Amino acid sequence: MAVSQRALEATGLPRLGRVARVREWWEQEHVFGYALIVPALALIVGLVAYPFGMAIYFSLSDYWVGSPGSFVGLQNFYDIVGNEMFQQTVYNSFVFSIIAVVCKTVLGVWLAMLLFRPFRFKRLIRGAVLLPWVIPTALSVLAWGWMFDSLYSVVNWTAIHLGLINPPGPNWLGMTSYAMTAVIAVNVWRGLPFFAIIVLAGLVSIPREYYEAAEVDGAGSWGRFRNVTLPLLKPVLAVVILFSTIFTFSDFNIVQVLTRGGPVNTTHLFATLAYQIGLTGGNLGQGAAVSLFLFPMLAAIVFIQLRYIRRE
Amino acid sequence: MNKAISRRRFLKSSAGALAGSSAVFLERPPAFAQKRELTFLSFNHFVPASDDELKRQAEVFSKQAGVTVRVDTIAGPQLFAKRAAEATSQSGHDLIVTGAADPFLYEQQLTDVGDLVAYLGDRYGGWYPFAKETCLTASGWRAVPWFWVAFTGSYNEVQFKKAGVQPPKTWDDLLKAGKLLKKQGNPVGIPISHCTDANITFWSVLWCAGGRVLEADGKTPAINSDKAAQVIEWYKELYRDAMEPEVLSWDNASNNRFLLSGKGSWIHNPISPYVAAVEKKMPIADEINHHASPGGPGGIHSATGVNSLAIWKFSKNVSLAKDFIKFLFQKENYNSFIAGGSAFNMPPLKSFAEHPIWASNPKYAPLPKEAEYVHEQGWPAKPNAAVQLIIVNFVLPDIVAKAISGMPTKRALAWGEDQIKLALQGKLKTEGKG
Repeated sequence: MAVSQRALEATGLPRLGRVARVREWWEQEHVFGYALIVPALALIVGLVAYPFGMAIYFSLSDYWVGSPGSFVGLQNFYDIVGNEMFQQTVYNSFVFSIIAVVCKTVLGVWLAMLLFRPFRFKRLIRGAVLLPWVIPTALSVLAWGWMFDSLYSVVNWTAIHLGLINPPGPNWLGMTSYAMTAVIAVNVWRGLPFFAIIVLAGLVSIPREYYEAAEVDGAGSWGRFRNVTLPLLKPVLAVVILFSTIFTFSDFNIVQVLTRGGPVNTTHLFATLAYQIGLTGGNLGQGAAVSLFLFPMLAAIVFIQLRYIRRE
Repeated sequence: MNKAISRRRFLKSSAGALAGSSAVFLERPPAFAQKRELTFLSFNHFVPASDDELKRQAEVFSKQAGVTVRVDTIAGPQLFAKRAAEATSQSGHDLIVTGAADPFLYEQQLTDVGDLVAYLGDRYGGWYPFAKETCLTASGWRAVPWFWVAFTGSYNEVQFKKAGVQPPKTWDDLLKAGKLLKKQGNPVGIPISHCTDANITFWSVLWCAGGRVLEADGKTPAINSDKAAQVIEWYKELYRDAMEPEVLSWDNASNNRFLLSGKGSWIHNPISPYVAAVEKKMPIADEINHHASPGGPGGIHSATGVNSLAIWKFSKNVSLAKDFIKFLFQKENYNSFIAGGSAFNMPPLKSFAEHPIWASNPKYAPLPKEAEYVHEQGWPAKPNAAVQLIIVNFVLPDIVAKAISGMPTKRALAWGEDQIKLALQGKLKTEGKG
């Protein structure tokens, strides 16, 4: 353990060398503690704060890909808000996110309840359920693209052969409502394992005694779910819904690979429109402004949900 | 003795390891011992053999010039972000592939290559008119046209013969033939969706009808016109009577699949379906043929994508990059490049149109003639920043899609005009005046 310089002087022992003094300074809690968080801080500043600052700077300038722009204030935001394409994107984002998160919540809890039951090959199946979450999105969405293909759709082929629909079947990615259904379905398919596994962890942590007590009180399966499972799952659900809402609102790959925002911009989300205007279109200022619209909305969602979690 | 690692020992060891590894990575031969390296960023070619040929030529040049040429190829859609990142960080490759509005968007960032363009033009029979349209900015040549892609009519000869129709010379011919072909069970297909091909064909059809999207000044919208209304009506009729709803969801590969499946009888596309069918030994290759892109009352015009080569101003190898471009255009090299691309790589210089590959297969015959009719998207305006936004926002196919889904033609065109006005609001600064 290091001994302070004053203590040494008081004892009359010789003064410490320079190295020892540096070591003494270094090992003080307030120095060493901060030093330990510097790497994490550097990462956050470099990979989160700096790009975020740049995005704000871009959004307030008429910055094009090859031409540094001048400060234009909120002009980009005014231009975007007045653009019908952006208004459509705001509408799409809410429809997409709300429906997808509701579906993932309901199906996720349901799947978690199923996985919670004892059955053969439980570990294997629990692992397999995670696959959609683990496979790179771009790859799995390409496969979905084939399944929704206008010519070779396996979805339509199956439904036609089962006599469920008449040929040629829905044009999944070409018609407005079908295209939105398709991208939501893929998002739900991909996000469901995340929900199910986290909820499953929540289920495991519920003490069995509560169920036994509920059974003694005459609660049926629905009663046990409503009065025991759901209340105790609430904190877990709140966190998982929070994360899922953020991921869903900022989704990019699914729409970019499947529809590129079409038909007629009816599946564009903030991220895809920002990419289209900012990177492929070259108008970085407006692109940044589109993507920044996400920030206050997500911040509000995070604020409300965190408050709720704290209250719980 | 306590064998647990103390935090002091851990920090000391980590710092030592970090310093050691940094020393290893930083240890490079002194500058005088390093070979000069020229770096070139391109996209993954649709015909992979073309990239192989490019890399072979880069190796030959490396040996001849005593340098190293590194060719990096990435997926086409990733180029947008990569170019933007290199321009912003002022570092990256020396030489890059550009296309459409890039020479205009990056005008301030790219080296003037007017000397090189003049040299190559004098040596190889002159440039086709579209070269100027696509690479000559107000402040000079910012890129060297490299190769372009011909959008011809690709059709199934057997199905056409069965329906008793000839390959269309005009877009109206296509409508007439398409009606019969659809009745026969072989519809035609033009994408009306968010994909490049949908844009390209719309420009072609509009120009042939005598219409335009922007006036030549590049600042005045011209889409809301009677000519454009006729084109929209034509699209509506073609969609209803000669195509199927699947065109509303197509990507760039869908029309290829449509023709190769044997269902589709005609598409407006580069020759890639035929090249793929030959490579994969598909029997349908024998049935596919090509004809010149159709014309109309406004003449014959066909939109294209011109790929060009540009050198960043921040490059420290500008002169070497120019030498490499000259090397790529040497007769034997460019000819091998055309052959490597299975006739996909169309030359922007007139003397290369004599390449034997066009005569080697009668199905390639219409290709070189297309050069006289092609324009970069945006024409008669230069492909400026507004044109880029009109293209990437898919405004033109969306006008058609809106009209097809029931919006009155005039309203759909007014919507398109609004979108074009918004695109024109961009305040991109350029070095030149116009």
